[in-house]
Amino acid sequence: MNGLMLVARREITTQVRTKGFVIGLLITALLVAAVSFAPKVLGGDDSYTLGTVNSQQLPLQAAAPDTTFEWRAFPDEGAATQAVLDGDVDAVLVNGSKVLTDGKIDDELGVLLQSVNREVKLGAAGVSIPPLQMQSVGADTRYESARAGIAVVLVLVLFMLIMGQVMMVAMGVVEEKGSRIVEILLSTVRPWQLLGGKILGLGTLGLINLVTILVVGLGSAMASGIATDFPPGIPGLVAAVLVWFVLGYAFFAALAAAFGSLVSRQEEVGSVLTPLTMLVMITYFVAFYATNDATGTLATVVSYIPPFSSMVMPVRMAATEVPLWQVGASMAAMVLAVLAVLAFGAKIYERAVLRTGARLKLGDVLRTK
Amino acid sequence: MLEINELRKRFAGGPGAPAAKIALDGISFAVRPGEMFGFVGANGAGKTTTMRIVMGVLQADSGSVTLRGAPLSPDDRRRFGYMPEERGLYQKMRVAEQIEYFGRLHGMSATAVTKATDDLLEQLGLTERKNDAVQALSLGNQQRVQLAVALVHDPELLILDEPFSGLDPIAVDALATVLQERCRGGVPVIFSSHQLELVERLCDSVGIVSAGRMVAEGAVADLRAAERNELRVVVRNPAPGWADGLPGTVTVDGDRHTLRATGGDDQEILRRAVKAGRVEHFGAEQPSLTEIFKEAVA
Ligand SMILES: Nc1ncnc2c1ncn2[C@@H]1O[C@H](COP(=O)(O)OP(=O)(O)OP(=O)(O)O)[C@@H](O)[C@H]1O
Ligand SMILES: [Mg+2]
Repeated sequence: MNGLMLVARREITTQVRTKGFVIGLLITALLVAAVSFAPKVLGGDDSYTLGTVNSQQLPLQAAAPDTTFEWRAFPDEGAATQAVLDGDVDAVLVNGSKVLTDGKIDDELGVLLQSVNREVKLGAAGVSIPPLQMQSVGADTRYESARAGIAVVLVLVLFMLIMGQVMMVAMGVVEEKGSRIVEILLSTVRPWQLLGGKILGLGTLGLINLVTILVVGLGSAMASGIATDFPPGIPGLVAAVLVWFVLGYAFFAALAAAFGSLVSRQEEVGSVLTPLTMLVMITYFVAFYATNDATGTLATVVSYIPPFSSMVMPVRMAATEVPLWQVGASMAAMVLAVLAVLAFGAKIYERAVLRTGARLKLGDVLRTK
Repeated sequence: MLEINELRKRFAGGPGAPAAKIALDGISFAVRPGEMFGFVGANGAGKTTTMRIVMGVLQADSGSVTLRGAPLSPDDRRRFGYMPEERGLYQKMRVAEQIEYFGRLHGMSATAVTKATDDLLEQLGLTERKNDAVQALSLGNQQRVQLAVALVHDPELLILDEPFSGLDPIAVDALATVLQERCRGGVPVIFSSHQLELVERLCDSVGIVSAGRMVAEGAVADLRAAERNELRVVVRNPAPGWADGLPGTVTVDGDRHTLRATGGDDQEILRRAVKAGRVEHFGAEQPSLTEIFKEAVA
């Protein structure tokens, strides 16, 4: 196994073994599951229990296919009233002419009962009314709210994971520099192997996190049934999100390693990383703005500009349909940027990581050979 | 044979140290296979800088380091064992795991590294601590781990920057034994130290650096021979003026007169002393390495 892989493996095993990593992963999974079930729990009731006293059941199912109805027959109005008051049934139809409820009836149920009742009565009188044909002349907006929701969640996940892993890269670099262990390491492995291994290892951990989130999220969405509201093309979106995470993480991690290598103490990591954290935040804010206006000019233009594209393009892809060539072009630009930043980061790192002591200036490091 | 040729290194002034500083001023020396080489010199003389350049963690401004006549490559260095002056270990990693990790980085297989680690832990008396995190160890024990990290891959050459500092006498002996064993196996060992008696006891050769240059180099015995040996004669209760006309100086302590002389006819001095009184001591004084050192860097 070569140096790079050994370094990456150490990063992974060290982290995976910490309590923090395992607990963090569990909490993330629980949170994601909770978020996926929340609309189901908090959202309106879409199953009703109805009663009849001396009445025919109304064909509600045909009018509202997504809702489930359960019917119960009651011998007389007294028993029915008691059941309504006990909350056993939502409403009871009495003699085909009256509905008993506890307080004001649920709007949706009320409208449904009235219109189906009217239809049944008219039908009995020989009048049949063809249902109105619905036709959208605008864009397909059926999935609009689902898409927007997915985009918001995605960009938040990307932001948190990238930020978290990037900080770990910087802290790891400073740990090795500050403890001087880098001196022995660099007498056995090349700087690019040490840096590359660290970025690779911590990136893999980030991917493990991301995959967990996606699997738990999609799994619970399917289990809770809200997945039926999802737009088509989810597998493609998931694949794209994985790629965008890798690209965005690689970009910011290379910069984090370069900035981190300028200082020798953990206390200085925060301040030396400020420009970078600002950049990640700006990327996040732009992407968050884009969730509201995914088809706007700003979102469209910025989705091609690295590193903003790493979060804005996934937002666009989630929120609207983006032609494949646009995704390809944006990814290509990002790949080039990542390569450039990796080369730059490796150069800074190589020059700075053995110069312990006071905080170095980026300019000085660039000037000295 | 490892050869260090005319290394020069100048540190530019920075925020912490405004003036530029010449750390190495053309230092040269060679270490032969199976040789234990003691690297001594005052603080700031340039020992650490030289070792860092040999290990490739610092670039020289000019000069070269060659192994068997060819410039050192990264692959050569991977087969070296290095203990830096500023110790560095992963504090949270376990002792055995850490040693194994470095063994793997040096290209060892997983099985070979496990065995080598166990053997080393045994030799260095760390077997019981193998599963402890490094940060739970005392400084001296951390230093033993550091040494194990330098030794695990059966290095071709050892470069140790002050390996004995901070060790108790028993650990010093244990480390000395380990180094002598490696040395007998043909591995050249270069180590720096300020404990000159230790260097004198262990080393085949010493190099004395001063202000970035090698001011004396060779076997301790040769360095001694190069010094003008001093004759010391102690005479009890001699006749006054007994040493008149002899070279050297006389110091008097009660009835004991001590003559120290370099050069001159020692037989003549002996005759005069015997005539003057009771001769308690007559002999050439071997300078200690400490004296040679002080002389050389003066
Ligand atoms: N990174 C650096 N920046 C500036 N000057 C340095 C640097 N490293 C070493 N020096 C200077 O180079 C000179 C040689 O230092 P070096 O550490 O090699 O000495 P040494 O012989 O190992 O001393 P000691 O016995 O104290 O360990 C010193 O004057 C030191 O101040
Ligand atoms: Mg030193």
